[in-house]
Amino acid sequence: MAINPIMKILVVDDMATMRKIVKNILKQLGLVNVEEAENGKAALDLLKAGKFDLVVSDWNMPVMPGIELLRNIKADAALKHIPVLMVTAEAKQDNLIEAIQAGVSNYIVKPFTADTIKEKLDKIFP
Amino acid sequence: MADEPLNDEMKEIVQDFLVESQEVLDGLDQRFVALEKTPDDADLLNEIFRAAHSMKGSAGFLGFTRLVDVAHHTEGIMNKMRQREMAVERSVVDTVLAAFDVIKLLLHDIRETGSDAHVDVSDVVHKLVAVLEQDTGPGLLAQGTTVIAKPLQNPGTLPLGDGALVRETAHLAAAETRGSEVELPEATAQQEASLPIAQDGGRDKVASDETPDKALNKQGIKSPASEEDQTIRVETRRLDHVMNLIGELVLGRNRMMKLSNGLEQSHESDPLVRELAETLARLDLVTSDLQTAVMKTRMLPIRKVLGKFPRMVRDLANKVGKKVELELVGEDTELDKSVIEEIGDPLVHLIRNAIDHGLETPEERRAAGKSEQGTVRLEAAQEGDRIVIKISDDGRGIPVEKIKAKALARGLVTPQEISTWARREIIDLIFQPGFSTAEKVTDVSGRGVGLDVVRTNISRINGIVEVDTDEGHGSTMTIKLPLTIAIIQALMVAVERQVFAIPLTSVVEAVKLGPLDIKTINGREVLTLRDHVLPLLRLSRMFEIPVQEKSSDVGYAVVVAVGERRFGIMVDRLHAQEEVVIKSLGDLLGKIQGVAGATITGEGKVVLILDMSELVHAMHPLGVRLSAR
Repeated sequence: MAINPIMKILVVDDMATMRKIVKNILKQLGLVNVEEAENGKAALDLLKAGKFDLVVSDWNMPVMPGIELLRNIKADAALKHIPVLMVTAEAKQDNLIEAIQAGVSNYIVKPFTADTIKEKLDKIFP
Repeated sequence: MADEPLNDEMKEIVQDFLVESQEVLDGLDQRFVALEKTPDDADLLNEIFRAAHSMKGSAGFLGFTRLVDVAHHTEGIMNKMRQREMAVERSVVDTVLAAFDVIKLLLHDIRETGSDAHVDVSDVVHKLVAVLEQDTGPGLLAQGTTVIAKPLQNPGTLPLGDGALVRETAHLAAAETRGSEVELPEATAQQEASLPIAQDGGRDKVASDETPDKALNKQGIKSPASEEDQTIRVETRRLDHVMNLIGELVLGRNRMMKLSNGLEQSHESDPLVRELAETLARLDLVTSDLQTAVMKTRMLPIRKVLGKFPRMVRDLANKVGKKVELELVGEDTELDKSVIEEIGDPLVHLIRNAIDHGLETPEERRAAGKSEQGTVRLEAAQEGDRIVIKISDDGRGIPVEKIKAKALARGLVTPQEISTWARREIIDLIFQPGFSTAEKVTDVSGRGVGLDVVRTNISRINGIVEVDTDEGHGSTMTIKLPLTIAIIQALMVAVERQVFAIPLTSVVEAVKLGPLDIKTINGREVLTLRDHVLPLLRLSRMFEIPVQEKSSDVGYAVVVAVGERRFGIMVDRLHAQEEVVIKSLGDLLGKIQGVAGATITGEGKVVLILDMSELVHAMHPLGVRLSAR
């Protein structure tokens, strides 16, 4: 499997409960090197400070929403290689198109299971 | 995850979900009230949208389908409002409010039963759907932005994570936007390029025989901790337990200090004894610091209670047809959690009273030359070691003469008796049980529905409540609360061989009495102190302590103040000031009038702690009369 078990993942969501849920699911996949940020801005600061291998970000957040975080990551030469997995509440076409145009690696619709997220990760890290 | 049994981790997540959702909801009512003033505030609309959205997201994972259903439709309406596709109208806001009320019920259900299956949501969902549909023109439907559930219903056509993701979505993208096909391969190329880097980066960290765990820790230290990491949620039960243990520690410390003092007197020259005293002095200091530190962990901003008031005021004002502005000041004032829990109901009661009875109708206000909109102001602040909460209104005030007339009419007092009463003693009658419930209160005092209950509840947390009024211009209710209710400073006093603790916050001074200092006015024993007449309370009479000879006339009067009222408590001897831990008397003894609880002294004796607000109750002329019957 190409998923590196110690890869460093940043989970971005404004709800602490959601971050915990995502962390819990990642843990089921053996991924425990996880940090959290509560919005896009906090995420960017963390990303700039430490090497991350993957960002799992919520779409709708205060201060800086997921799409803006994605655009910022892709606009930053030092960060643009980091794959971004977008978590959305529903598969709204407009949002998806926006995200794909901005360079999202994949997206996942809430609620999801460990299996679904593994599928996505397998695609991101073939 | 959903099909797994509820393990501890999941239970914890559900707990977090409940707490976090409650926090979200707490702030929401205020947003709604603000929204009615500024219906086009995009930030407000966004915040309310996000509240529904976030709850829906987490609830989906946790399998709370009814909550998802309600939140989903609420989110849909809020989305339309924030996109300017639907006007922010009273009726729509009411429906959304009703939806959030149902969400509260659902959360309550989850808290109680672990599932949300016991609340019927069909009614509110129908209403939400009706709102969504009535406003959805065919043009909007075609855009696919308004019917949120639609894409989910036919996942076959959706690029839900199979290999065709990029291609299929590319079709979508291509259909709507030109140039997207060019960008997509780029994005994929970036991912491929990123992979080796990511893995190399990962390997670097485990090089030099570090275990993944070690590497993890290192990174954890290196990266700036997010704000979330610096706080943890702790069950209140655990904090209560810690507080209880501190209480025991304080009692032990007090006992040790007493023993050490005794030893120092009997074995003055022994170096070991001196060393013991020094060690104890340090322990004393640390215990006090520990106590303060633990107390602080239990402090919560009063905002937690005040959050629901704007909505309540809005609803009540609509109901009684009055215009009310609620001003909240000092929402960040912190109170002990146990106080926060107890103070909610009394505050609700007082605010309801202020709106229902204190404020006039717009017509009455206009006739009185006031603005149509009345103001209710709630102000919280810390003053020294107590918290003061003031609830004031600019309404009609309390008619003192009518209270007097009513007390006389009901035969509660005689005209001679009431002639000796101070104005505030008369106003204080509104706190008497049953005083104003017999008749329509608005005819008499304008207030009073169960105010005795308010006073009882507040005194239960060692607080006091007073009222002041300016007839025609409004009233102010002042609540004074201790910072903590578990450990207090007390003055130890003795009557005959019985020792009592008087909470130091109430003590003004202590004066030595001579046999001639006590006078009797209208059958009440009083003391004239610097031109003020103070009523006196004999603990021996109150607690039926047998008195030896006449010697008890010479002793001390401890002058205590409860709000504006002062009185003297007659005691035989004054002992030391001590830090006491309040323990309840237990079910066996139950409630004893005038006693707040008990404590164990440094000498190891059980001592009763006096309840000042109950004593002042007994001191009230009417109180004395009632208890004398």
